[in-house]
Amino acid sequence: MASLILSPAEQDYIIRGVESGFRADGRGSLDRREVSLRTGMISQANGSARCRIGNLGVGTDVLVGVKAEVNSWTPGEPEDLGSIVCNVECSPSAAQEFEGRGAEEINVELTQLLDRILNGPQSGLDLKKLCIIPKQAYWVLHIDALVLDVKGSIVDTLVWATRAALMSTSLPRVVVETIGDEMGNMQAEFDVVDDPEDLTPLEGAENLPISVTFSQIGKRYVVDASEQEEVVTQAKLTVAVSPVMEICAIQKGGMFRGFPPSLLAEILEIAQRIAREELTRFDVHYAQAKSHLSSQADEPSTGSTFLVQF
Amino acid sequence: MSLNITDRRRINGPQRSVEPVYTTTSPVDAFAAGGRMDGRALDQVRPIFIKTGPLDAQSLSAAAPSGSAYYEQGKIRVSCAVYGPRQGRKSSNNARMGTFDCDFKYAPFSCSWKRSHVKTSDEKEIALMLEQAVAPAIRLDAYPKASVDAFVTVIESDGKAATIAAAINCISAALADAGIELYDSVAACSMSLHSEQWVSDCSQIEENASSCSLLVARMPSADEVTYLLQHGKTTPEQTQQAIQTCANDCTRVYAVICRYLQATLE
Repeated sequence: MASLILSPAEQDYIIRGVESGFRADGRGSLDRREVSLRTGMISQANGSARCRIGNLGVGTDVLVGVKAEVNSWTPGEPEDLGSIVCNVECSPSAAQEFEGRGAEEINVELTQLLDRILNGPQSGLDLKKLCIIPKQAYWVLHIDALVLDVKGSIVDTLVWATRAALMSTSLPRVVVETIGDEMGNMQAEFDVVDDPEDLTPLEGAENLPISVTFSQIGKRYVVDASEQEEVVTQAKLTVAVSPVMEICAIQKGGMFRGFPPSLLAEILEIAQRIAREELTRFDVHYAQAKSHLSSQADEPSTGSTFLVQF
Repeated sequence: MSLNITDRRRINGPQRSVEPVYTTTSPVDAFAAGGRMDGRALDQVRPIFIKTGPLDAQSLSAAAPSGSAYYEQGKIRVSCAVYGPRQGRKSSNNARMGTFDCDFKYAPFSCSWKRSHVKTSDEKEIALMLEQAVAPAIRLDAYPKASVDAFVTVIESDGKAATIAAAINCISAALADAGIELYDSVAACSMSLHSEQWVSDCSQIEENASSCSLLVARMPSADEVTYLLQHGKTTPEQTQQAIQTCANDCTRVYAVICRYLQATLE
């Protein structure tokens, strides 16, 4: 982030390294750092996940909680759709410049980006399934993300964590009863079953896209820029790709430069290949997180602490 | 007993209440007749009108902006004032470079519904998008420790993506009017996907009917894409095709802006 100041010599070292295909931490230009993923650590939420991307237990760390709420329909809203509300907050513990109102700009940017990926048909979630009774009641999924630590590549970590949180989300069962009143009108009523065991998983969460962020450094680009690399990044491009290899959202970031069209075409092509690898990787990590959760089922909750993996 | 007593000083409502009947507006199909509602070709941008300097004060006063522009594109009307280079407000980490700040506001009467006076989060985000789209064109290294500020007001909007594109074009013209050193002017254009077909510069009705929108900002002479935003789902081929078509449209918009700016010098 901006709080890190690099000397011109260091900057030059990174730029020339990237241009000739080397990175300071030994990765290839399209490799990601280590990922740690945990799900279901917040008991009060309907779904939660914490994701950290970074080597040796230091990295960008995002905690996401999904809370479902029943809302009553008001005229003007879509008649048979549920809704998703995103909110991202960067904690001052992550970086000094997030103190006070310093995080406002990045909060807005990340919130809108997440909203652009999740809210709409491109997310793969069936919003119609979140409707309880048309024109009466629907589910609202509040997706709240807390950025706990920033060491580069914040968007990808956020999308990883959100995807895992939504995949682990389950909603309480809802019983809908249709009663006819004395006028012969049919009226629907619903009841949320208050049983912690009686839950249905969120449908369509496995269709959610994954994002790949490319950082342009010098004449080339890298995936998953580290904190140092982010200082010399001139422009960023986030591409969200769904499991069926459709592009769900694209957003450019960065103030210093634009992309030459040839580089842009190359990035869009490569994005698909990387997204495919990322999705397989995500599935492995998610399965691990799930099995970890079930093996510890009888133990007392250890909170959301990470076991530092080496 | 008490039920029969009516208060004659009030207009009493009926005993039974029924649900109000809401007016149902039949959805307008923007592409019903096979073409577009305003008779444009699919890749045609709405007619553009630009004027620089509408807000520049006649007498030299400290409050007057360094440059300003008014931009129309079909129904869209945007005005922009540029201040600077002036002393930077916030102490920047990087003293060797200037900063470019942008402020974006929809006027309360600019949309089909009433906009709020207070700045909403989507306005804040658009301001950030404008900064990221236009800043690559400005020679910020020529203004160390200084800041250049652009204030954009949307007087009338018609299509979200098209309004953002119009704002980018308007800032470009205002920056040139303010005499800020630029590498190139940024021109922007938007498109929407409607049943496998990309349609340029969509109005609000057309945008509502589409599944995906794309915005491209470009510096045509430098051949650099300074902003790219896609909202909605497409195949990668469709995206590539749209970026190409949008880039061509940007070049056309750029020609209009440049022709106007040249004419103001004569």
